[in-house]
Amino acid sequence: MPVLQHMCQVIYDSPIGTAIRESDYAFPVIESVHVLAITLLVGTIAVLDLRLLGLVFRGIPVTRVARTVFPLTWSGFAVMLASGLLLFWAEAAKNYSNPAFRIKLVLLVLVGLNPLIFHTTIYRRVHEWELLECSPWRARAAALASLSLWGGIIVAGRAIAYF
Amino acid sequence: MLRIWFLSLAQSTLGQYMQTSKWGFAVVEAIHLLALAILGGAVLIQDLRLMGLVFKEEPMRRINRDMGRTLLGSLVIMVLSGIALVSEEALKCYYNPAFRWKMVLLVAVIVFYFTLHRSAINRSTEESRAGDRIIGAISIFLWLGVGVAGRAIGLI
Repeated sequence: MPVLQHMCQVIYDSPIGTAIRESDYAFPVIESVHVLAITLLVGTIAVLDLRLLGLVFRGIPVTRVARTVFPLTWSGFAVMLASGLLLFWAEAAKNYSNPAFRIKLVLLVLVGLNPLIFHTTIYRRVHEWELLECSPWRARAAALASLSLWGGIIVAGRAIAYF
Repeated sequence: MLRIWFLSLAQSTLGQYMQTSKWGFAVVEAIHLLALAILGGAVLIQDLRLMGLVFKEEPMRRINRDMGRTLLGSLVIMVLSGIALVSEEALKCYYNPAFRWKMVLLVAVIVFYFTLHRSAINRSTEESRAGDRIIGAISIFLWLGVGVAGRAIGLI
């Protein structure tokens, strides 16, 4: 058995994983929190992406929009990570071979790389363009990548239950 | 009376398609979820601004114009995709208490949005008052209630 698969099985068989799986309420309650916190994580970062694309808040500096949404987005991320880990704890052995779960993990890595590239390149010079109604193409590309990747993560996440 | 509407929705072309298609339900549900993300973001920014917690330097009307459009646009997508989802199992929804709660809360939040919420936004000044904070909090809780009830449809 591959080492990752073995680890997933150990997590799956652990007392906490078993308890979440076997409880009548734990899994659906955690899953509901996970679904509704999408609004806090993806909904708020989407506002920054839409600003970069010039679709909302034209005239409000990009940095001000970023400063406003980041605390919300990061709180959303914390809730999603905690609830997501608990869901994985309960289903790790099944998730391991689930194609939708694998796609979701790949997309999560990509959506993490996107702001790394964005912040180390075009965002360094944000003060030169933050007042433009339509941002430079590299910033718009980052916004489109963010919207598509987060969208893909939501769809792949939902699809986990279909496999 | 209402039951007849649900029955005819189930028997409509849309209902027949949703019931027989292999991927129809999954695709429409994904659209419903994607629009939820955008709707939730717009609600949060709009109400947190009303409560004086974000974008304090920006006029309320400015925030409301853009977030209001985003909110209503995604709400239209959610309602249309929602009708398609209901058509797949219309009578099951009709008898589902979570679905009934969701519809009551949805009507409540839409009425609230166009009345008390709207007038709070229109009269709001730079400084957010206690009344505005209460209206913003009620709005967030009503929308959250719609979401929780919606999530529960599949669980009961």
